[in-house]
Amino acid sequence: MAVIEISDLRKTYKGNTALDGVTLTVEPGEIFGIAGPNGAGKTTLVECASGLRRPDGGRLRVLGLDPHRERRELLERIGAQLQEAALPDAIKVGEALRMYASLYRRPAEWRSLMDEWGLSDRRNARFADLSGGWKQRLFIALALVGDPEVVFLDELTTGLDPDARRTTWGLIRAMRERGVTVVLVTHFMDEAEALCDRIAVVDHGRVVAEGAPGALIAEAGADSLENAYFTLTGRDLS
Amino acid sequence: MRGFRHVIAIELKLAMRDPMSGFFALAFPAIMLWVKLRGGNKPLPGGTPLIDATVPMLMVFVIGLAALVILPATLAQYRERRVLKRLHVTPASPAMLFGAQWAAHMLLAVLGTALLTVIGLAAYGLTAPANLAGVLVAWLLGALSLGAVGLVLGSVVPSGRAATVIGLSLFFPMVFLSGVVIPRESLSGSMRAIGDLTPMAPAVRAIRDGWAGAAPSPVTLGVMVAVFVVFGGVALRTFRW
Repeated sequence: MAVIEISDLRKTYKGNTALDGVTLTVEPGEIFGIAGPNGAGKTTLVECASGLRRPDGGRLRVLGLDPHRERRELLERIGAQLQEAALPDAIKVGEALRMYASLYRRPAEWRSLMDEWGLSDRRNARFADLSGGWKQRLFIALALVGDPEVVFLDELTTGLDPDARRTTWGLIRAMRERGVTVVLVTHFMDEAEALCDRIAVVDHGRVVAEGAPGALIAEAGADSLENAYFTLTGRDLS
Repeated sequence: MRGFRHVIAIELKLAMRDPMSGFFALAFPAIMLWVKLRGGNKPLPGGTPLIDATVPMLMVFVIGLAALVILPATLAQYRERRVLKRLHVTPASPAMLFGAQWAAHMLLAVLGTALLTVIGLAAYGLTAPANLAGVLVAWLLGALSLGAVGLVLGSVVPSGRAATVIGLSLFFPMVFLSGVVIPRESLSGSMRAIGDLTPMAPAVRAIRDGWAGAAPSPVTLGVMVAVFVVFGGVALRTFRW
């Protein structure tokens, strides 16, 4: 059974169409990328799927649940790190993990999660004192603390230096190895190409292309996903 | 409820790590006590020794600061910094968040209350409360009613700074008019009449009544329960993550 099924999803904000009939399916155990320019509707799509926004129309199921009507149940089974979401400055790494674990009915063992993601040495560091890369590492651990089946990551690597980005990619792959389905929102095409099993390219609230990175590159007759993206979205620079 | 306990413990730690919260909840009321009693422990009109009125009054001062200023500022800052946005994608509910914030901030007020009592007993010959159960019930209802008012503020204000400004502009008129800074006995009739319309007045009356040994007035207690129910309901309905 598909982990996420979306068909003809629509959402309008005060006359601005954010989602104009999105249809896509995410299979279990894959890293599924949602790529596209700023304002394409990527964040709205993820916010609908995690129950934060109610779509105006279309059908949406995550783990077989309606994210709006069955939000409580869904939130026990997904993890999410949404754009620019943060923690209180003074909270320590260990405290954040323990507190977030306590919010779930059946959480993962937060101490082993802390070890596994290399956070144990920094368990007493305050959130405000962590570098960007360590903050992302903590966010990934927090997204997993409820022992979720699906994890949504929205622009996790924006603002990171190249080193920290590569490290974060490794962490996301490690997440898939645990059997977690990952939905990754990004506007970096190199990131989508390196990490994702399949990608949906979204533009103007619609899916303009969907498939494995290699297939999309071949379809566009390009040499990289980045160039394929410009061809597929009609934003060809030439 | 396991989770609830952890959230309260961590929120209390976070409040204690903020030097401003510690100052306002602990040091500031103690300084107020010293200022009030500088002229000696004279009896008020009606005969109550000044200290026996001042300690219960300043207990409401501490509850009010924690409930109307520090709590809304914390919640609004969490909104501004997108801490609430992160919590929104967990199973945490607004009611759970409110409960934890209320409990953590009221534990801060308990510390302030204990400090005032200890200083009062050790330095100023404070008389022990004549009706301890009455004082405890009044304190708790005061904390619930003022906490609910603070939660309404914290539910809608977009930034921590704005919440502090609005909280203080509610807090200061209330403490001056409802007999928290100036004893009710010394207030003019018209000031007292205005003060009695604020949600702080019943808390002051009930705690002072209990301290003096009078049975708490059912109307006073009922008003606090009503304020808690109404404002608590409004906070839940208007809350934005």
